[in-house]
Amino acid sequence: MFDSFLIREDSLENVYDENGKAVGFKFAVRIADYRGAFLSLHNGYYIECDGVEYPRELQKFEVNGKPPRTFEEIKKCVWEHWDFDDEAYVYVEKEGGLEPGKHRIGLQQSVLSQYGYMPWDEDWVKNPPVPGQGAGAGKTRRICYYDLELI
Amino acid sequence: MTIKRGVSFYSYQQEQFFRRMNWKDMMRELHDNLHCDGVEIINEATIPNYPFPSQEFIYDWRNELAKYNLKAVTKDIYLDVHQFRDHVMNYREAAERLMYDIKIAADMGFENVRCLCMVPIEVIEMALDTAVKYNVRIGKEIHAPYPIKYDPSREGGRMVAEIIDFVDRTGTKHVGLVPDMGIFQIAPPRVNVEYQLRNMDDLKLRDFIEKNMNEMDGKELAAAIDKEFPDMDSMQKRFLGMFTRGPAAQPEDILEIIPYIISIHGKFYEMTEIPGKPGQYEDVSIDYENVIKYLKQGGYNGYINSEYEGQRSQQDRGIENLADEVEEVRRHHEMLARLIGE
Repeated sequence: MFDSFLIREDSLENVYDENGKAVGFKFAVRIADYRGAFLSLHNGYYIECDGVEYPRELQKFEVNGKPPRTFEEIKKCVWEHWDFDDEAYVYVEKEGGLEPGKHRIGLQQSVLSQYGYMPWDEDWVKNPPVPGQGAGAGKTRRICYYDLELI
Repeated sequence: MTIKRGVSFYSYQQEQFFRRMNWKDMMRELHDNLHCDGVEIINEATIPNYPFPSQEFIYDWRNELAKYNLKAVTKDIYLDVHQFRDHVMNYREAAERLMYDIKIAADMGFENVRCLCMVPIEVIEMALDTAVKYNVRIGKEIHAPYPIKYDPSREGGRMVAEIIDFVDRTGTKHVGLVPDMGIFQIAPPRVNVEYQLRNMDDLKLRDFIEKNMNEMDGKELAAAIDKEFPDMDSMQKRFLGMFTRGPAAQPEDILEIIPYIISIHGKFYEMTEIPGKPGQYEDVSIDYENVIKYLKQGGYNGYINSEYEGQRSQQDRGIENLADEVEEVRRHHEMLARLIGE
């Protein structure tokens, strides 16, 4: 759902460390479902930028006015909620950040919300699905692409 | 007493996403333009800071209902068994979630909660005392492909019987059913078909479906696809169910469950003008006319709450191609009011 609108068009920017060195990039996202979710259910993203894939280990998530957290930390936020109305930021680690200009980002969100007990439940506890295969992607199974300009 | 009209705010999810309408705007639309009073919500879409809404929100909510003389009919609740991530939620924990959602529903003035098809009956049983205490009914959804008629050979084919047995055995007035009009789907909705075809990776399969979907019925198409594409994975096949699956229930089946109905999800995908009848609308993919005929015959006097879902099949292109949720719901209410006979 919201296939063309999951990333805010004008939100792509580089992320800098305290010395002013670019250490990655970030962009603003919305939830890909018609309802919010307990934050712990958020299992990361499939992200590619200009053909290069950035796995979950290189991602952080900023929501609810708190500093960016890894998805290992997010997993423990079992009583915190990402509300349907709220925008969040995805941070991606990339030395040097991105060059100014156009970039093509491929994205699939993985939120492990579901409609009750499923046959794969025990497996998902031990081996959470790797984002990008459709698991937890709401109602959209494909990767959605966005042409964004770095500001 | 007659059938009453309401709206699930699910219908306005896109307006909410783009921040063009909030729940107060939705309530005003019900009162000012739809002239109906039934409100249904998705708990995790409407309630800020769910599951810990503030007292201020609760009061604001109840005040707004009072302002427009609206009725909080049903609150739709979920069962996310992976919330704790280090274990799958057990039935006792699931019952705690359900009981807590019942309390929030009561605080907000709701008469009912809708729980999902797949919530085990044991979980409902564990929450029953709480439902009685707060006088909130638990309605289990009958969602496609689940049927109404008992048929153990079909997915979900025991569910309705299980609820009816439970109600009859316990005599409770606090458990029942929430049929979704999607079970009476007689043709794949145009907007969903076009979305699937636009987004199909296998171009050969897409061309095959496009070529044959108008000449074949669902069963014939399924058989033809199986023959032509024997190696297709099961996930892909599930998506194709839309083209190949027939209706989950027949309109007259509704007569069997009328005393158990808590409220009805008025699922629809696209309202188009009826040829030759300007200003009158229908969803050609769902048999509302016959279902409402049987609901009237059976004396149903609860709510049908519009649940517009066609917008989400039109969000893969530009902003100029988005559906108009407000107009779709207005058309749906033209149809409901006319078929109910207001």
